[in-house]
Amino acid sequence: MNANAQEKHLLEKIKDLLDQGMEDLNSLNGQRLENLRINALRAIEEKHLSFFTPWRWILVGGFSMAMIATAVFFLWVSPSPAVLPVSRVDDFEIITSRDHIDFYQNLDFYHWLVTTGNDPVKGKAS
Amino acid sequence: MDLPLNSRDALDRFLAGVERPAFKMANFASRNTDEALDLVQEAMFEFVRRYWDRPQEKWKALFYRVLQSRITDWHRRTLVRRRILAWVGRRDEAEEREDPLERLADSASPTPYDQVARQEEMRALEKAIRALPLRQQQAFLLRAWEGMDVGQTAFVMGCSEGSIKTHYSRAIHALRGLLEDSHS
Repeated sequence: MNANAQEKHLLEKIKDLLDQGMEDLNSLNGQRLENLRINALRAIEEKHLSFFTPWRWILVGGFSMAMIATAVFFLWVSPSPAVLPVSRVDDFEIITSRDHIDFYQNLDFYHWLVTTGNDPVKGKAS
Repeated sequence: MDLPLNSRDALDRFLAGVERPAFKMANFASRNTDEALDLVQEAMFEFVRRYWDRPQEKWKALFYRVLQSRITDWHRRTLVRRRILAWVGRRDEAEEREDPLERLADSASPTPYDQVARQEEMRALEKAIRALPLRQQQAFLLRAWEGMDVGQTAFVMGCSEGSIKTHYSRAIHALRGLLEDSHS
């Protein structure tokens, strides 16, 4: 028998013995192994059943924070308009004043009234 | 992402198929039943947590990769613990303590007289495998027992194919010597 054949024979014998040893495993250990397997499968099922796991909360929270930070950054670095729509102090007063807002909204109507000669202050022109 | 029923069944079948060889491998490395069960448990949990959605043909290599990684970590921790205990002058009681389960009679299989010789061979083989250095032991069991090729074994053990060939060759050589000694 050459060296290769001897080695093959040795390996076959070892494999046979190991397989036999596995079959002869103590029944108590066999039961414990089965319990381990069941627990592992149960753990993964419970993990998949719970949608909002702590890890997922961290992911969602982190993503939200990143989005807010990005928005703030772009608002911060974006150029402000060169000319303000309101340049005079009087205009500011008009915009900021809450009083007589109807008056300002109807200003065009009063202009029209004056130009057509129906001035309510001076009375009818005709 | 739910765990589909067919995946659960496939996982169950797969784990049922590898749990005993995994336990034996862990037991060879740790020489302690409880430690071996802990290692298998950790490997199972990590495998189902991280790799259950991988293709089934890769499960075996991935499972054994996790298991061997756990065994290697355990081995390192044990070495450190032994060194510390040796330094402070204490003996590792966990190591010295004999595993009571090893002495427990197996009620599942009868032990007729014609099996005595085989049991002797088994003891000699287990003793020889346990005597191997960890990496040789892992390479030998994965190649010779689990039937993995050199590439798969290298993936599982996280080293080069050349290292696997060296470990395996040395393991065979050492085993032959140890088994011949036990028979002589």
